[in-house]
Amino acid sequence: MTSFFKRRRYGLISLLMLLPGLASFFGLFFYPMLVTVVRSFRPEGLTEGWTLEHYAGFLGQASTRQVILLTFFLAIACTLLSIVLSVPLTLLLRQKLAGHRLFRLTILIPITVPGLVGALGLLLFYGSRGWLNLLLIQGLRVVQDPVKINYTLTGLVIFYVWHYFSYTAVTTLSTLEGLDPAFEEAARVAGASPWQVLRHVVLPLIMPGILAGSVLTFMAAFGAFSIPLITGGSYRPLAVQIYKQIEVYTPARWEAASAMAVVMALLQLVFLTFYMRVLRRPSAS
Amino acid sequence: MKTLRQYLRALLNAKRLLAYTFLLCFFLWVTTPFLMILLKSLGRNWFGKLWLPPEFTLDWYKWAVTVTNIPEVLRNTLIIAGIAVGISTLIAIPTGWALGRRKIPGKEVIMSTILLPRMIPPIAYALGVAQIFYRLHLIDTHLGVAIAHVAICAPYAILVLASTFEGLDERVLEAASVCGANNLRTFFHVTLPLVMPGILSSIIFTFTTSYNEFTLTLMTYGPKTITLPVRTYLAVGEGYWEVTSALSMILIIPSLFVLFMIQRQVQPEKLVGGFKGV
Amino acid sequence: MSDWMIELVDVTKRYGNIVANDHVTLRIRRGELMTLLGPSGCGKTTALRCITGQNIPDEGRVFIDGKDVTDVPTHRRELGMVFQNFALFPHMTVFENVEFPLMIRRMDKAERAGLVRDALKLVRLEGYEKHYPRQLSGGQQQRVGLARALVYRPKVLLLDEPLSNLDAKLREEMRFEIKDLQRRLGITAVYVTHDQEEALALSDRVAVMNKGCVQQVGTPAEIYDHPATKFVADFIGLSDFIPAKVLAVESERVILDVQGERIAVPPVASVHAGMDVLLFIRPNDVRLRAAEGQKLPNEIAGVIAKSTYLGDKFDYRVDVRGVEVRVQTHGAERFDNGQAVYLHLPYERCRVILESLVCPVR
Repeated sequence: MTSFFKRRRYGLISLLMLLPGLASFFGLFFYPMLVTVVRSFRPEGLTEGWTLEHYAGFLGQASTRQVILLTFFLAIACTLLSIVLSVPLTLLLRQKLAGHRLFRLTILIPITVPGLVGALGLLLFYGSRGWLNLLLIQGLRVVQDPVKINYTLTGLVIFYVWHYFSYTAVTTLSTLEGLDPAFEEAARVAGASPWQVLRHVVLPLIMPGILAGSVLTFMAAFGAFSIPLITGGSYRPLAVQIYKQIEVYTPARWEAASAMAVVMALLQLVFLTFYMRVLRRPSAS
Repeated sequence: MKTLRQYLRALLNAKRLLAYTFLLCFFLWVTTPFLMILLKSLGRNWFGKLWLPPEFTLDWYKWAVTVTNIPEVLRNTLIIAGIAVGISTLIAIPTGWALGRRKIPGKEVIMSTILLPRMIPPIAYALGVAQIFYRLHLIDTHLGVAIAHVAICAPYAILVLASTFEGLDERVLEAASVCGANNLRTFFHVTLPLVMPGILSSIIFTFTTSYNEFTLTLMTYGPKTITLPVRTYLAVGEGYWEVTSALSMILIIPSLFVLFMIQRQVQPEKLVGGFKGV
Repeated sequence: MSDWMIELVDVTKRYGNIVANDHVTLRIRRGELMTLLGPSGCGKTTALRCITGQNIPDEGRVFIDGKDVTDVPTHRRELGMVFQNFALFPHMTVFENVEFPLMIRRMDKAERAGLVRDALKLVRLEGYEKHYPRQLSGGQQQRVGLARALVYRPKVLLLDEPLSNLDAKLREEMRFEIKDLQRRLGITAVYVTHDQEEALALSDRVAVMNKGCVQQVGTPAEIYDHPATKFVADFIGLSDFIPAKVLAVESERVILDVQGERIAVPPVASVHAGMDVLLFIRPNDVRLRAAEGQKLPNEIAGVIAKSTYLGDKFDYRVDVRGVEVRVQTHGAERFDNGQAVYLHLPYERCRVILESLVCPVR
């Protein structure tokens, strides 16, 4: 009998200790999310009644389809380019050349500093009077007039990559360094040139790591807010569009914003589940 | 035979040169934006086709102090961060302890759930937070903004402390009870000091997260609670790049400190965990 | 065509302050199985990697089949290698693993399939083509490794402690398979291990290494019966070393002063009267009898210090004037602690070892 209570007591104490964390989760995330969901079904400006008009409007309008397309495009382009950057980068870092620790630290810089600062610096650097254009015009003399990068789609993609490649790079690097060197040795003795070793052995074996990292990058890019807010110009991906409903319209269109937010959150949940699946895949070790 | 060797060595060097060039370009690509901010914040009359500003000045910083009211903005930022850190740490200690040391069914699920606010873009639930805070009159209060920050600060603090508590050696605690200490005394005299480094690390990262936090602040701030990130954002809107740069330099300080701390660790890559961008 | 399939000539390899290979010279004949034997850190794996090309020696040259391959990269050396942890590509099936070297060489598909099938037949793994490495046992994985190493008919097969990750019984079985395979194919093989039993069982010749040096190269019998250095004597089997002084060098024997007694041992070069040497003998070659009456030739006196019953034999530690001599007997006669005994050191089983010889083969 006493053991029954003892067991109960154990669980009770555990629960008690977990309570603050759970409370913070429910109070500051779950409940607000709930409020958003409820609000998304309310008719505009009212506190009662249910309607699907915001969803219909959102998913029906061509302009909002553009927004979703834009958000996806930016996220996908950013992810692909991050992979293209991360793979050679990590392969080089693995060789532990002189100063490799500095470069490893550099990978972490974009996600340690606030997005605002990064955005500002990128605007300055790629601006018409920034160093890139100075390099192109004066240094290399390949163009006469400044190349417009800020507030263009290409520029936005570059900015995204700058901010979010770190997740891909870090997981790729750690997978790469966890790879048993015996695999490559076996391949080389069997006659594979360094390029063949890379193609047939290394890349297939680090693919899970690349994938895991790129899902993180994709999720971050999909939900990007401060970057496109400042540097997006006329391009407004989903997060910015949501904010604009509150900020630009008077009276603020909370309901429309909520509907968009719900759609965005659902999509992110889908990606998150996909990420968890990728993590569970049996990886080579 | 000798020449073949030399040739191969030269080829190896060419590859090495290429590698270094790539790495250097990568390094520059990441860091030059910051350099530009620094120079912009210190330069005067830097228009047109110049690599460096012609004159250097501290005027923009002075401007930041006087016109954009930096001291008060900083005060707000620090107060809010302080409150956020306090609340987050108080939440994280018991929760982290439970997750690190107790047998709990579905621990992984709970951990993933707690991390959810960092996976879903804050704007999604910030809408809800704003509405709730309006009703509770928490908008434009330091406490209110701080509580909003806790939403994203607490998860990471919990993560760090859970792993810290998990790493505690059972046997040390056993030794304490053998010496006569009951659970509470063991906690305060043995456990807490041992997890202090973890707590400190969590405090530093939580502080930086709150200091850098933008999205949630944007939805819950008011004239009395303008934080540094928000002020910087407003400055961008105002169009004075120089002042904005000066503000950015101040904004970046804790992050630099965090980076410095990271590089002292052996494997910086392992720390990525909770650094989701703003 | 030279006699030697593989030659490491004066190879030196350093890692910072550590000399992993110190002027190592090894010559391996065509068709023989040479084992590099030694404790961990002795340089055997480094030497093996100099053959494969993973390590580039700081000094010295490497020859394979008469050609200087020191500057030739690994993937062009046409070798086959089997690894301690199998190193099978986990993302490929058994078939694809074995096919890999052929695919690299751009052989056409039909030809590849034929060779792969032959290789799998050779290692008795037909039927496992579609399996993945993780579905196979350790022994099966190692056989896939062998198949992959042999499928393109390399001139040389290298084996880096291939049986260390298998359990004892499997190890013995695989030992026979490997030796049998090597002999049937007539392929030159270099085998690296720290297990002396394996080395003695498998090899045509053994190279014993320690601290980067080759201590001795010889057949298993030579290594066991005529160890050149104290290390080799000690590393292979059980050994006793008794300090002695050379009294006289005669044509048919050498007389030693062993703890005051005159002991005759077989002749050995490079010793002279007055030299301090070690008398080396195997514990189960020493004969014990109770100390009664006169000593016979080649006998020394001692007192039993410890005795241990080991089932099929007795292990005695005998104190001979401060020197502990280990003796193992199968005899019916039992000796007690403290008993005075005579130890007979049979002339033909005694050897002389010079302690100073540290790195003799250069």
